[in-house]
Amino acid sequence: MSLFDYFFPRKPASASVAKERLQIVLAHERSGRDGTDFLPRLQKELLAVVTKYVAVEEDMIRVSLGKAGNASVLEINVEVPHTAKPTPAHAAPA
Amino acid sequence: MTVTTASKVQGGIFTLMVVRIADPYDPALDRELAEHVALSPGFFADAPVVLDLRDCLGCTSAEDFTALRQLLRRHRLVPVGVQNASALQLRAAKAVDLAAFSGAQANGARRAAPEVAPRPRLVTQPVRSGTQIYVRGGDLVVVAPVSAGAELIADGHIHVYGALRGRAIAGAAGDRDARIFAHRFEAELVSIAGRYLVSEAIAPEHLGAAAQVALIEDRLAILPGWSKG
Amino acid sequence: MGKVIVVTSGKGGVGKTTTSAAFAAGLALRGHKTVVIDFDVGLRNLDLVMGCERRVVFDFINVINGDATLNQALIRDKRIDNLHIFPTSQTRDKDALKREGVDWVMRELRNEFEYIVCDSPAGIEHGALTALYHADAAIIVTNPEISSVRDSDRIIGILAAKSRRAEKRESPVEEHLLLTRYSPERVKKGEMLSVEDVKEILSLPLLGIIPESPTVLKASNTGMPVILDPASPAGRAYEDAVARFIGEQREMRFVLPERRSLLRGWFGRAAS
Ligand SMILES: Nc1ncnc2c1ncn2[C@@H]1O[C@H](COP(=O)(O)OP(=O)(O)O)[C@@H](O)[C@H]1O
Ligand SMILES: [Mg+2]
Repeated sequence: MSLFDYFFPRKPASASVAKERLQIVLAHERSGRDGTDFLPRLQKELLAVVTKYVAVEEDMIRVSLGKAGNASVLEINVEVPHTAKPTPAHAAPA
Repeated sequence: MTVTTASKVQGGIFTLMVVRIADPYDPALDRELAEHVALSPGFFADAPVVLDLRDCLGCTSAEDFTALRQLLRRHRLVPVGVQNASALQLRAAKAVDLAAFSGAQANGARRAAPEVAPRPRLVTQPVRSGTQIYVRGGDLVVVAPVSAGAELIADGHIHVYGALRGRAIAGAAGDRDARIFAHRFEAELVSIAGRYLVSEAIAPEHLGAAAQVALIEDRLAILPGWSKG
Repeated sequence: MGKVIVVTSGKGGVGKTTTSAAFAAGLALRGHKTVVIDFDVGLRNLDLVMGCERRVVFDFINVINGDATLNQALIRDKRIDNLHIFPTSQTRDKDALKREGVDWVMRELRNEFEYIVCDSPAGIEHGALTALYHADAAIIVTNPEISSVRDSDRIIGILAAKSRRAEKRESPVEEHLLLTRYSPERVKKGEMLSVEDVKEILSLPLLGIIPESPTVLKASNTGMPVILDPASPAGRAYEDAVARFIGEQREMRFVLPERRSLLRGWFGRAAS
């Protein structure tokens, strides 16, 4: 390693790769910690409600718990297909 | 009018075989049972047996008995009860529906020092740090080194024909005549009948050579070599 | 009422025992009556690091089993007043630390000592959980590398969920991050995570940075807490950390590679 490289590293040093990998894996692991273990259940129940109205697949609903500043943010993403068809039962309420 | 009862209690005298269990997980048990049964397979077929636990320190949980029962079943023996069980063993036995046969004393009395001294326990493998060997009611002979952090306990004498770097506790049940012998004495701690010395309190000239430890006038003495003391 | 400090990390070999010994010695040197307890049943080491291995008669498990009293098992340090060592057993397994027994011991120690420093075993099993259960404060020992940081994160989560304070819904355990085995040169080269990286990822207040130093090994070889070595940078860093722990302000040292070291490398070898 030349002195030039020493002061102006060109490639990302291994530590910064490590940091990125850590942030990803920890975000994932923390979501499984006590208190947030309701997420899978929430996802299931949401799915049950949503499919009453729109035909969506299981993997089209994503629930995650993140952080924004000091607050925890519960993020729910529902992917609605372009040609979303209302679920038949609710298309024409009896 | 006849009254039919669902059950009827009647006395009966049976001869039961007794299997003495020392360690329910000892692989030798399996082999020994197989040898016995092989002698007269017809006689042993599905025979009820009583487990004698007088030599057994384990068998304190229901799982132990379940494992033991499976082992016996493989040899076509049917355990029906226990004998000479401790309170803890008895409780575990009852949990898996084994009966208590007379001779069982639910207390520690049965562990009283046996009349005839048992053969000394012989250890030929190095005794590593973290291991504890306890010889109840007898002597311990080790023909290998004893590492620092290992613990030898015996109700009788302790002999180490190697380096003694761990702890040695002789006369653990109170025998004041018990002694400790070490071919190369570097013990962390020695104790006889409750008196003890830590290595810091042992004069350096005693270390590294053969020595014995004896209780003399209520004090632990370290005697170089094999003098009579 | 004494304060219980658990020194924990999840990962092994990061410096928990070194830290426990240094911290306990540091607190005692400041006049606080302190005891340091080895919770690493079966892998006793604190006695060696504290240099009292030749004085151990009874241990934690003996006391729990009622074979010895607490006072019989506590070893008084010969160098530092106010410092006691409570060794663990080498011949039992971790499950020998029975819940009620440990509860009782901790209650007694709280009445007797100002600080109770608990050296936790590695891992997240019975021994480690028992060590952290009674904590009022936790020192999370972390090395600036990926697996240590991850394990610290895990243990912080457990601390928040499984401590007595969490169970009783009291105020949470005070958490402090201690970066140990820190090598500014390797951080500068980008081989190790920096202080800022670790702080950001774990989001814990930083109690101190202990530099990687051969004096630590020397100290443990001689059975002396490294904080007693006035020439050791790690010792000085521990001293700072103890001061911060009891509320003093101290500037962080040992974060950057020594400025002059490069020059010294060229010109000043004889002087250094
Ligand atoms: N700051 C340091 N610099 C150099 N070596 C260290 C430092 N801290 C700890 N060590 C060494 O790392 C090893 C593990 O330390 P130890 O305190 O026993 O860790 P743990 O208790 O977490 O397993 C030991 O050999 C110790 O001497
Ligand atoms: Mg340790």
